[in-house]
Amino acid sequence: MKMKSMKKVVGPEYNLGDKIKTNVYAVGVAMQESVYPHTATVFYPRERKKMPDNFRGFILFDPDKCISCFNCSFVCPANAIRMKEAPNKRYYPTVDYGRCIFCHFCIDSCSGGALKATKIHDVAYKDMDAMFTPTEEMIELPEIIREDKKYVEYEIKEDDLHLKRTKGEDYLFVEVPPPKEIPMVSTCIDPGSCIGCRVCADVCEHGAISASVEDGGTLRMKIDTDECTGCGLCVKECSMQILMLNKLERE
Amino acid sequence: MATAMGAAGQSEWEVAVPEKPLKDKTYFENLKAKVIDTNLCSRCLTCAAICPGGITVVGNKVDFPDYETKCLDCGACVRVCPRFVYEPKSGLGDYIEFIAGRSKRFAGQDGAMVTELLVSALEMGMIDRGLFAGRDEKWATEMFHVREPEQLAITTLGGTKYTFADVLPALKEAVGFTKRGVGIVGTPCIVSGVRKLQQEYPIFRERVKLVVGLFCTENFHYGDISKFLQEKGVDFSKLIKTDITKGKFIATMSDGEKVKFKIKEVEEIVASGCGVCTDFTAVESDASVGSVGSEKGFSTVVVREEPAKKVIDFIKEKEHADFGEAKPEELDYLINLKKGREKNINSDAASS
Repeated sequence: MKMKSMKKVVGPEYNLGDKIKTNVYAVGVAMQESVYPHTATVFYPRERKKMPDNFRGFILFDPDKCISCFNCSFVCPANAIRMKEAPNKRYYPTVDYGRCIFCHFCIDSCSGGALKATKIHDVAYKDMDAMFTPTEEMIELPEIIREDKKYVEYEIKEDDLHLKRTKGEDYLFVEVPPPKEIPMVSTCIDPGSCIGCRVCADVCEHGAISASVEDGGTLRMKIDTDECTGCGLCVKECSMQILMLNKLERE
Repeated sequence: MATAMGAAGQSEWEVAVPEKPLKDKTYFENLKAKVIDTNLCSRCLTCAAICPGGITVVGNKVDFPDYETKCLDCGACVRVCPRFVYEPKSGLGDYIEFIAGRSKRFAGQDGAMVTELLVSALEMGMIDRGLFAGRDEKWATEMFHVREPEQLAITTLGGTKYTFADVLPALKEAVGFTKRGVGIVGTPCIVSGVRKLQQEYPIFRERVKLVVGLFCTENFHYGDISKFLQEKGVDFSKLIKTDITKGKFIATMSDGEKVKFKIKEVEEIVASGCGVCTDFTAVESDASVGSVGSEKGFSTVVVREEPAKKVIDFIKEKEHADFGEAKPEELDYLINLKKGREKNINSDAASS
């Protein structure tokens, strides 16, 4: 087989004027970079990149708001959240950061607003076992040694990426006000199918559901709409699935 | 003052509490004294389906290990138990149509009409879930929720099981999931349980759309029948079908071999609750199906209620099955045999 004749690629031919022009431009860029370097690198830990608020970081927990509904552990796609019994006999979440993928589905699913997001991304552990974080360590922000004096933001100027450095410390946690709550109360959608087991009354933490046996063999069930917080525990526990959360309408 | 309004729900309601014959005991202890300890219990598992405390443990025999601590004393079991206030039913009952049928699509015990009825109801859109009993590799029953006819590729779904299945606990689950309705198939005691649930609770009245009953003389606990069959040399890995016809119990193996013995031999292991059951044809069902009364390869179908009539008309219109003549008088012998068990109920009631 005969090879085809090879073709030599010829570069553009500059005249002397063009050559001087390009060389002077190159020297100019080099001098500019030596005085004011145009790097795309963040000098961590002396600088810290500014992230959006609550961006996929360490998870904080407020036990007062937790209703132990287990939603966070059910929804966790990485099985990182486990519910552990606390000394007060309630179940609270624990996070294994060896498994956590920081999707924050748990925070989205939290019905009481007990889980909160931070933008702390640099927590160090000595070994894999230490990455298991019990509930007590989730209540307050972890201890952080701050060395950063500047924070960095990216901005695009003239189709080129520039770094904007600002002096000062970036905040790592901001309390986002919870969305306006629609008041909900538990109601019974099919009273005829109630078997009268009183599980809803036993499970209610706020004492909103009362069950009293009257003379003549009837059981009177009552949901106190002023006490009910709409947490939904009774809805979850009802074996006949006849309780439902409804919007509270005031007269 | 704040109140929750609208048709969506109520915040105050009343529940009628059933009477307790034994005043100082829980409802479950009442049930135990009146039904379970007197061998009236048919193992229909209606109580297990409704119990909010989950005190029933279903195994070979139904057991209640923690009833003293777990019972919530709500009275639901007493309200739904078909034998707490036992009104024995017998005979053939009223019917709209009495026909023999053979499905063209499915293979089952005889004419596979139970499968055909439930699958046609699924295709009509009358129900979105049919409850079928299947078998595992050890020949024990397990329940399947059938939502698509294609699911019937599981070959163990067709055919009579001659073993108790946990139909009603599965019904409770299905009723929670269903959008259109549930179809169910069961022995006369299970049918009575469903009717009792429907009588007491609207949620079952609205959502259980089709109840198919089976002709039933007696039933066996899984542990007893498996032990018995093993003693007769039946290998469960090869067993494909069991039959009771003309006084004989026939087990058919995959290599064509048949093990036969007389029905009198199994009488010892018949479940105790069957001794007081007088209902052969599942009088309370929408349609009952069995082999007696029609030719070989056909199933007798007794259409009693309007929903079942609609399904049968659908099958006729789509020509999913062949239909033939059935003879009601052929059922008389077994109806009378079961009616004769009425005397057992009275003697039991007298002794307790």
